[in-house]
Amino acid sequence: MKALNNSEPHMKIARPITLITVAILALSFGVVGCKKGVQKETTLRGPGPRGITGDERGGPIIGNVPAQPNHTPIISETPTASPLDVPGQGLKQPDRNFGDWLPNTTEFKDQTVFFDYDKANVRPSEIPKLKEVARRMMTSFPGKALRIEGHCDERGTEEYNRSLGDRRAQAIREILASEGFDPGMMPTTTFGEDKPADPEHTEAAYSRNRRGELVLLSPPSNSGEQLTRDFGESKALRSSE
Amino acid sequence: MKQTLFLVFRLAAVGWALPTTLLAAQPIDLELIRRPDSLGFLQPIPVHVRGLSGEADSVLKNDLLFMGVVHKPLEEAKFLIDGNASAGRAEARVLEKVTKGVAHEAAFTASSLRAAVHALADSIAKALTGLPNIGIAQTKATFKVEPSRGRSEVYIADYDGFGAKAVTQDNTIVSAPCWAGRGMLVYSSYKLGNPYIFSHVLGTGVRNAVAKHPGNNYSPAVSADGRRIAMILNMNGTPNLYVANIDGTGLKQLTRNRHGDACPSWSPDGQTICYVSRAGGGPALYKISASGGSPAPLRTTFAPNPTEPDWSPDGKWIAFTAQLRGFTLFIVPVAGGEAIELVPGEDPSWAPNSRALLFSRGPDHAKQLSLLDVPTKTVKPLARILESNSQPSWAK
Repeated sequence: MKALNNSEPHMKIARPITLITVAILALSFGVVGCKKGVQKETTLRGPGPRGITGDERGGPIIGNVPAQPNHTPIISETPTASPLDVPGQGLKQPDRNFGDWLPNTTEFKDQTVFFDYDKANVRPSEIPKLKEVARRMMTSFPGKALRIEGHCDERGTEEYNRSLGDRRAQAIREILASEGFDPGMMPTTTFGEDKPADPEHTEAAYSRNRRGELVLLSPPSNSGEQLTRDFGESKALRSSE
Repeated sequence: MKQTLFLVFRLAAVGWALPTTLLAAQPIDLELIRRPDSLGFLQPIPVHVRGLSGEADSVLKNDLLFMGVVHKPLEEAKFLIDGNASAGRAEARVLEKVTKGVAHEAAFTASSLRAAVHALADSIAKALTGLPNIGIAQTKATFKVEPSRGRSEVYIADYDGFGAKAVTQDNTIVSAPCWAGRGMLVYSSYKLGNPYIFSHVLGTGVRNAVAKHPGNNYSPAVSADGRRIAMILNMNGTPNLYVANIDGTGLKQLTRNRHGDACPSWSPDGQTICYVSRAGGGPALYKISASGGSPAPLRTTFAPNPTEPDWSPDGKWIAFTAQLRGFTLFIVPVAGGEAIELVPGEDPSWAPNSRALLFSRGPDHAKQLSLLDVPTKTVKPLARILESNSQPSWAK
């Protein structure tokens, strides 16, 4: 083949054949040739093929946009009438939303219930606190409700702790109910490890953080106003309720 | 002309001379370097990157690392990557080190240098590994950011932490953000008092309540097809596992017990949910059919107190957090058995290539996200945003 290159007279005849050969060779090897730059160029428009849409183009700032006011209704469910006891699962949550009731976090501060590591059962030594809370709720605070907040130390993983805090709050609720206070007036919530009472990473701090806090709730005088104040909630989001 | 032709012929001759060349339909040399390790992951392919500098160089090497292609000194490399990059454009030619045969070449122009380099990295990794789903360089992640204690917001960023931006500005607590397709997030937020689960369209900011039942609604997990959600609700007393359609309709309670359940994760085919239950006394992993039935325990030998399961997109592994000298990441085959210890950390989320993980590490309220190449256990921390970053979810 080298002879072809060295022989001018044959060059003209050889060229078409040569070019075809080269093309076949190039294809079979995937070789683009010996040009310096890469020949095949891909232009990406907007986010890459796996990119998400919406975040890289103009338009509303994410996060500052209120929720859609007229969205499809939230899960329809058949409310179960009282009693709240669901066989095998404990006390059903009250259907009522206490989000707009006025919280008093100091009234039962001294009755904060503490738990053992990774446990949701109320220690026998903590039971007297709850007996006192139930008695006072029934005698001193008629018409008021009690929000029970479950908290954890940081030694469980985050969502596991959310479930653990949930069970702690529920355990307190069941004891208060067994003392006679209406479970329908006891919403529970869980903060997992999001709101430690003591931010230190010590055993003493952990034991203070594994707790159930009791918040006295009074009926609102103006529910809409209170809801906005408590949660900084946008009107649009509220209208979804 | 003569010279050009001569060069072309010489190249052709070299090509023929290569032992069943690199570039034939079934390139034998590439197959030889594509060796699985004892767990079935591809052993890293050693390359030497040259010609790039600064951001382009670091981005390309970082991307490749989490796709099974690792930058090594010249003498250890099997391939040379000759790169060239400038604003908004990146190109490279991948050469077999000894023969200088071209294994791959590609060029990309994009809105930024990083975007072009990410595209280039995906293209190189696909060519060298032969794995069509290996590319992760152009993916996104969502995660929880705590600006201060007791406050958190949902963020999104490139998978490597670059370009982070806030999705929520609610000044409340959020948790467990995850993807429902590429344009929508689902997360739990305390914005209305109790935790409720919301969907959030990224392009418009439109939010809908997905689960707003009495009590607490949290730990959302969306199926791979984006159509169904698993979550933990305590409406019937104890926190148990529920599933629903992504719009919240069709609610179904999957578990009913007094022990408490947590942390659901879907199998990629949407048939099964792996979750944490205390049915046996302490936390353990269980699997249950997404349409209901009896839960079956998933053994995680050597890994105490497993939580936070995350099912790999290829369906082979479940990554999770165990408590072994603090939080430690493990993987276990989906059938259960001996768990394989990875590195200290929690909150694992698989990459779409089922090779890398995003996870968090550090004390509460000072956590930092990191990337992990599972087979080599190589960890790269991401830049921390504000006080604490946790609960990453990698867009699949």
